[in-house]
Amino acid sequence: MTDLKIIQDELSNLQPGWIILLETEPNLALEVSLKALKLLTEKGYVGIIISASRPYVNLMAQYRNVKMDESKIFVLDVITKSQGGTPAESANVLYLDNVAALTEISISMKKAIELIIGNKFVFIDSINTMLIHTPPEVFLRFIHSILTKLRLEGINGFLISIVGETKDDVRAEIAQLCDKVIRVGA
Amino acid sequence: MQTKMKDFQQRINSIVKKGSNGQIVMMELPTDTYFSYSSAVIRTLTMKGFDGVYISFQRPLGNVTSLLKQQKINTKNILFLDIASILGEAAGNPQQAVAGMPADINIDELVKAIYTMLDNLRSRKRFIFIDSLTPIALYKPLSEVMRFSEFLSRTVRSHELENVILIFSVAQELAQKKFIRDIAMRVDEVITL
Repeated sequence: MTDLKIIQDELSNLQPGWIILLETEPNLALEVSLKALKLLTEKGYVGIIISASRPYVNLMAQYRNVKMDESKIFVLDVITKSQGGTPAESANVLYLDNVAALTEISISMKKAIELIIGNKFVFIDSINTMLIHTPPEVFLRFIHSILTKLRLEGINGFLISIVGETKDDVRAEIAQLCDKVIRVGA
Repeated sequence: MQTKMKDFQQRINSIVKKGSNGQIVMMELPTDTYFSYSSAVIRTLTMKGFDGVYISFQRPLGNVTSLLKQQKINTKNILFLDIASILGEAAGNPQQAVAGMPADINIDELVKAIYTMLDNLRSRKRFIFIDSLTPIALYKPLSEVMRFSEFLSRTVRSHELENVILIFSVAQELAQKKFIRDIAMRVDEVITL
């Protein structure tokens, strides 16, 4: 509970255009990301979720459990299709081919940013999962490019990572590009 | 962090005191609070009357200038080269920041642009600030990054360019990369915290 209070405190005074790296333990990852998303949507933000960790259907079930406002969520699901799942039709999801299709992810993110109205943030869930499917040097270029685009558009960014599961040099390349690093339970 | 920052400020002050005659410095900055330290460098230099060229590989121009302004750092006498936007193939118009720079970064053109910008600075005390050496290595071969640092160092040390401090910055955790160590070997001073 105290750990989750950290998120509340850290997200309480954000400067526009913030980019945050959130690091946590594997057993806390879901709880922490739900808490952060709920807090941000309650503050009026609209989240564009790049989900490599959970398929859309599962993600929405989790959001409903915590009574999150679904109208403030748009999901870029990069996992369902590649796992042979059946994409559930909905207005707030776009299914992409796979986690390694970084150009497609980047283009879809840009389109989602253009379509969605409001104070937006892009949530990358998660760095570790995406790194399973992409070589580090390619992934780091993707992150640098995505974060640059977000900053140019004045869009906020939120990246989640599991402590100790990312190589130090990869972590450092990403962390130096962020405005804030939050550690929960680590 | 406050003690660390105080120590850091003192080290920057001592570099400035030594004089600005062709000094080349590498700064290994704390990764998780990187920008706070970069902006501390810029604050000190501008307050001491330096004009400078800020080469941004990490963040696009608008973001850097707005963060510096938020911290009440005077950016009037700083010229910016927004390489981040070009490297990230980002939308927008990076040419606004980098007059004449091609979309694909060419090291010779980059050094030429820096050299030209130095000429446009009014103060006799000048700096070149590279915000981070590692992002360029994501896009360019290490040999090109080495050539960039070598070329720039040689230019700063040449007699034509007096009163210039060249600062290469790097995240602490990345300072052990071989190409960074190779560059560190050639600088006058390495600041670690």
